[in-house]
Amino acid sequence: MNAFKFLIAIFSITLTAACAFDGKIHRSEADADPFENINRPIFTFNQHADKYVLRPLSEGYRAITTPFVRERINNTLSTIKEPVSAVNHLLQGEPKGAAINISRFVINATLGLAGMFDVANGWGLKADEASMNETLAKWCIVDGPYLVLPLLGPSTPRAATGLAVDSVLNPVYLSTYSDANIRDKINYPYTAIRAVALREKASVLLDDLERNSVDLYAATRSAYLQNQSKLRCFNSTEVETEAYDFDFGIEEEEAAFEESGY
Amino acid sequence: MKKIFTAVFASLILFCHTASAEIDATQAEKFVKEVTDEGIQEIINANVPQSEKDARFTKLFNRAFDLDFIGQFVLGRNWRTATPEQKKEFISVYRQLNVSTWSKRFDEFKGREFIFKGTSPSNSKGQVFVNSFVPMDQGEPAKVVWRVKEKAGSYKIVDIIIENVSLAISARNEYTAFIKNNPGGINALIANLKSKI
Repeated sequence: MNAFKFLIAIFSITLTAACAFDGKIHRSEADADPFENINRPIFTFNQHADKYVLRPLSEGYRAITTPFVRERINNTLSTIKEPVSAVNHLLQGEPKGAAINISRFVINATLGLAGMFDVANGWGLKADEASMNETLAKWCIVDGPYLVLPLLGPSTPRAATGLAVDSVLNPVYLSTYSDANIRDKINYPYTAIRAVALREKASVLLDDLERNSVDLYAATRSAYLQNQSKLRCFNSTEVETEAYDFDFGIEEEEAAFEESGY
Repeated sequence: MKKIFTAVFASLILFCHTASAEIDATQAEKFVKEVTDEGIQEIINANVPQSEKDARFTKLFNRAFDLDFIGQFVLGRNWRTATPEQKKEFISVYRQLNVSTWSKRFDEFKGREFIFKGTSPSNSKGQVFVNSFVPMDQGEPAKVVWRVKEKAGSYKIVDIIIENVSLAISARNEYTAFIKNNPGGINALIANLKSKI
């Protein structure tokens, strides 16, 4: 029930955001972040949580596992998510993608020994994930302002809604939902393993970003928003993302700044 | 008659289009291919000490990338208010930072290759995108796109877009935010970057 209420709350935020923002992807990043004053402290909190909890855990995980073992774990975690991708592919009007997700789930969960081995990939069924955030974007729902969520990190109202729906659609959550006792015993460790595995996978990139960054908050925001800009409405004619659209002609660039008073 | 009109109109559009494109996309792609080939064969996979690799990379980097252009772009609106000394120093620091950052990551690129997938037009004058993929051990290949600019007959790389994230735009946003929030302004940025080299 709580999850349902949370969903409704987030969904209404998204709708309000959709009215307040024109959905233009070419707004400056400072404009896309009206809540910077709140986001920055949450970002700092997340940094501390990472430094003292998640990072040590992921380093421990790396120390006690081999790349082979980690690949098995990552494969299983991906296999669990296949049904979520299938639902999203269907909602995006891509039944073929959904069929591939279901086939991958069935083949890898059985022949792939509980998802540890990606057998389906060898048969030409390539991994293709789909999230509710992508689905909502396809439905022309704009992303809204940049948000940093406690523990979950960079997000937008649309991405947060997508994340909440995807978590509810997750087979681990659905299959344990009826029994409150089992639900907690399975879902908390499952979430923890996912977080640690994901952190380990991203560790090289994150370390690099942290080392070279003069403002980690702004660097993270820029990367996140640029990546989000690839998600398009179903009837959009734009094919390229923000990174391509940006005009690098410096003279015109200066004139534009002059005009906008930026 | 209608056909002739259409033909004239079409050729006009075509003409305008090619006139604005200017840059030879095939040559640009060939240029990026040569740069990556040299980087992989002569540096990353070469059996020479790290110091020699660093020296070779510095040379290749300075030849292939237009750092004056990138530096100006990255400082954005702050470029105009910067003094000539600050501009010079920023570009020099930014150059060194890029060289040292990439030098540390040679091992990650060992055994990797770039597969080129044609070019895409750019709406910036005299620039084109060269598309490539890097196959990964797990999952989908990484998409790497090179923004190439023609400068007096020679080609220069001015940006790398990795999985939709532009390095130049990220740096620009980050540095703009830093200067805005820091009373020391550009000098503080230069000092901070220097400490990271």
